[in-house]
Amino acid sequence: MSVNDHTAFEPLLTEEESRKVIHGPLPPGDYYLFGSDACVEGAVFAGCRYYAGYPITPASEIMEKAAERLPQVGGRFIQMEDEISSACSLIGASWAGAKAMTATSGPGFSLMMEAISFALMSETPFVIVNVQRPGPGQGYITSSQEDVMQARWGHHGGGSLIALAPASVQEMFDFTIEAFNYAEQWRVPVILLADELVAHMREKLTVRPKEGVKIVNRARPQDLGIPFEKFLPYEGMVPPMPAWGDGYRVNVVGLVHHPDGNITKYTPEMHLACVNRIYRKIEDHLDEIAKVEGFFLKGCRHLVVAYGTTTRSAFEAVNELRVKGRSDVGFLRLKTVWPFPENKIRSMVGPLENIFFPEMNLGYMIHPLKEALRDRVKNFIPIPCLGQLHAPEQIIEKVEEVIGKGI
Amino acid sequence: MKHPMLKYLRETGLCGDRFPTIFCPGCGIGQVLNYTLIAVDHIIHKDGISRDRFVFASGVGCSARLTSHYLNFDAIWSLHGRAPAVVTGALLAQPELKAIVFTGDGDAAAIGGNHFIHVCRRNLDMTLICMNNGLYGMTGGQSAPTTPRGTSSTTSPYGNVENAFDLCELAITAGASYVARWTTAHPKQCIQAIEKGIRKKGLAFIEIMTQCPIHWKEDPAKMMKKFLSQAMRLVKGKGKKPPKRDQFWVGEFIDRDQPEWLETYQKIIDRFR
Amino acid sequence: MRIPSVVSGPTSMKRYEIRIAGFGGQGVVTVGKILGFAAVLYDKKNAVQTQSYGPESRGGACKAEVVISDGEIHYPKVRSADVLVVLSQTAQDVYLKDLKPGGLLIIDPLTVVNDPLRLDIRVVKVPTAEIALKVGNKKFQNMVALGALCQLTGIVSQNALEKSIAEAVPLKTISRNIEAFQKGIEYVRK
Repeated sequence: MSVNDHTAFEPLLTEEESRKVIHGPLPPGDYYLFGSDACVEGAVFAGCRYYAGYPITPASEIMEKAAERLPQVGGRFIQMEDEISSACSLIGASWAGAKAMTATSGPGFSLMMEAISFALMSETPFVIVNVQRPGPGQGYITSSQEDVMQARWGHHGGGSLIALAPASVQEMFDFTIEAFNYAEQWRVPVILLADELVAHMREKLTVRPKEGVKIVNRARPQDLGIPFEKFLPYEGMVPPMPAWGDGYRVNVVGLVHHPDGNITKYTPEMHLACVNRIYRKIEDHLDEIAKVEGFFLKGCRHLVVAYGTTTRSAFEAVNELRVKGRSDVGFLRLKTVWPFPENKIRSMVGPLENIFFPEMNLGYMIHPLKEALRDRVKNFIPIPCLGQLHAPEQIIEKVEEVIGKGI
Repeated sequence: MKHPMLKYLRETGLCGDRFPTIFCPGCGIGQVLNYTLIAVDHIIHKDGISRDRFVFASGVGCSARLTSHYLNFDAIWSLHGRAPAVVTGALLAQPELKAIVFTGDGDAAAIGGNHFIHVCRRNLDMTLICMNNGLYGMTGGQSAPTTPRGTSSTTSPYGNVENAFDLCELAITAGASYVARWTTAHPKQCIQAIEKGIRKKGLAFIEIMTQCPIHWKEDPAKMMKKFLSQAMRLVKGKGKKPPKRDQFWVGEFIDRDQPEWLETYQKIIDRFR
Repeated sequence: MRIPSVVSGPTSMKRYEIRIAGFGGQGVVTVGKILGFAAVLYDKKNAVQTQSYGPESRGGACKAEVVISDGEIHYPKVRSADVLVVLSQTAQDVYLKDLKPGGLLIIDPLTVVNDPLRLDIRVVKVPTAEIALKVGNKKFQNMVALGALCQLTGIVSQNALEKSIAEAVPLKTISRNIEAFQKGIEYVRK
């Protein structure tokens, strides 16, 4: 007796289920979706046709939705044996021409660092969703923003990548599309820093017609009229990327290399040029890449800053404070957390008394913020909250404790 | 006169000097490359398969260096032990690719152990060529999961206290479709096995015992001659060990037809068309 | 490229906050799901629904929250509930304090045996488990509660809820779920 039944395989699909099949991305309209589902729909909308994952709370629902949706749109899904292989398979899928994604949480994210590092050096685009939960270790299974530094610095070695922090179901959809666009445009792994709250929330999602949404696909040498003989050495900040099977016979490596791919003639100059380009590719384009929005900035003396789901509490708190009479409190939100937009923030924010920074961690992003604004802001006050979203009261209380109530 | 397989290697200057290669004098890896390219060449010409459909992948180690810059094919020199996972992604994105993984015993059975057994279990259509030299060559000769018990190495200076894997048994139990073992001293058999493995729909695992003269501190020709006396043709019934302690079975251990991952999943995709 | 933002509008629109709490397995989250679905897709409002659990799969604490508004919803959870539905004693013990003065408390007297120790709220006792058993199974008690909530608050229309129930539950159970829902409405109408 064998556990493997080798008789013909028949897909399991009930009548009810087959009526719910959508053979492509979501058609335009309003939906009421689970955050995790919105993320997958965003990926499908962006053209993602490969998903690999491993179960982990609270990210498993994204994987389950991907298992359901990807074959419906002609893509392929696989549950791998661990997060390491899930992330590594994204490298192969990407080089075979597909837009590829996985989702995990903190413990799995740690395992994926090797693949992220390789992707940085080999300039392989893909998207990793980290549905953050508290740590360290197994931590807990609720919401958190504790991996925000890890997203940028957790991989070994240099380079720079892009990370977005969604705060709503709509953004789980939109930011996933944006993540793929960034990945394709800059040939870089992109992290979607979600959290348990936004992944498990249900909210309205509005899908616009495809014609109105920008979808970016990687530039391939064949699209640019570059033949096989002229493909190397590559020029420019972001080299065009062929797929395996296109006839470019591309050797992908993770070592420092010359622009013609040579890995044998090591020189310190080559090393600096190689890593510098990968770093500058992102850091020199902060203006294009970074997305920051400000509210009530004109004339404000105090600022509340937020990213991800804390945006929702913080904005509620700021509005309430203003209604109470504190018209000197402004609000700043980071939609892209990395690369850190120091200059952009400096151009938006003048001299201030206090900056309040609620984070679902013990105060991490407050550090680059301090670095950026230390010369013109007197006090930086973190407002930590672990394991759950701040209640607006927590933020209001802290602000009033420092600056008093009302004008 | 030019070696006929040179057309599949990169010329000097484009991606790196081919000579001197990174391989030690007498290393068996160059032979395995030759056997593989001959097999691939046969398939390109006999089966009419385009050269651009082949992709070579490797992890880390001496055997992995084959894809570092030598090959005039699509290739990836990826992460230690992870090549089967990388190739899994490539195949699911582009099922027409013919994927060949170069791996070593440490790469496949230690750090890559989990990925190795799962691609066998999934029976994904790829060919794993494992150059087994019984230790970690690149890093200086440490013992590996295939190092015989009692052997001395840099990390078992008092003798290896551990048992060794039989990689072919592992592959068979995990579910591979085609499993064979030969040595670098069996060129024709290696070429035939690799060719058969590439053609086989499903996971093909070909283990090639490969001499590492530097770390075993032995003359390479002597090592190859020793392979010939150690290698016992498996004629009937596994289970019985070869007569002498340092002998091992060689031959085709299994060649079975089973449903392959991509063709099975395709039924799901087709259901939705 | 412009990334649409969640925080682009003022918070001046009225928020209506609903919390439903009980044991895992009582269908608390399903009620929250359906409320949000109906409010958004049929009544054309905004709604955010969240939930949290105790560690056990059945029998542990479970709560769902729904915030409904005509305008944008920033803070997605309940700050001070307009309505609290409790299907277990623990749920009442833990969440009663977050119900706003003048708020509505719906309790199932079968499991919530202690009277709520507040005089500034409106209390309605609905025997959801008992009514559900009349429909055929205790597990329909969440629909009875939903019916009561619909009738008592009018925050989401009956029509919208019935359509949403039909989309949310397995085909074969739709009629009994709706029956339980309507029985909940009838019970509080009296």
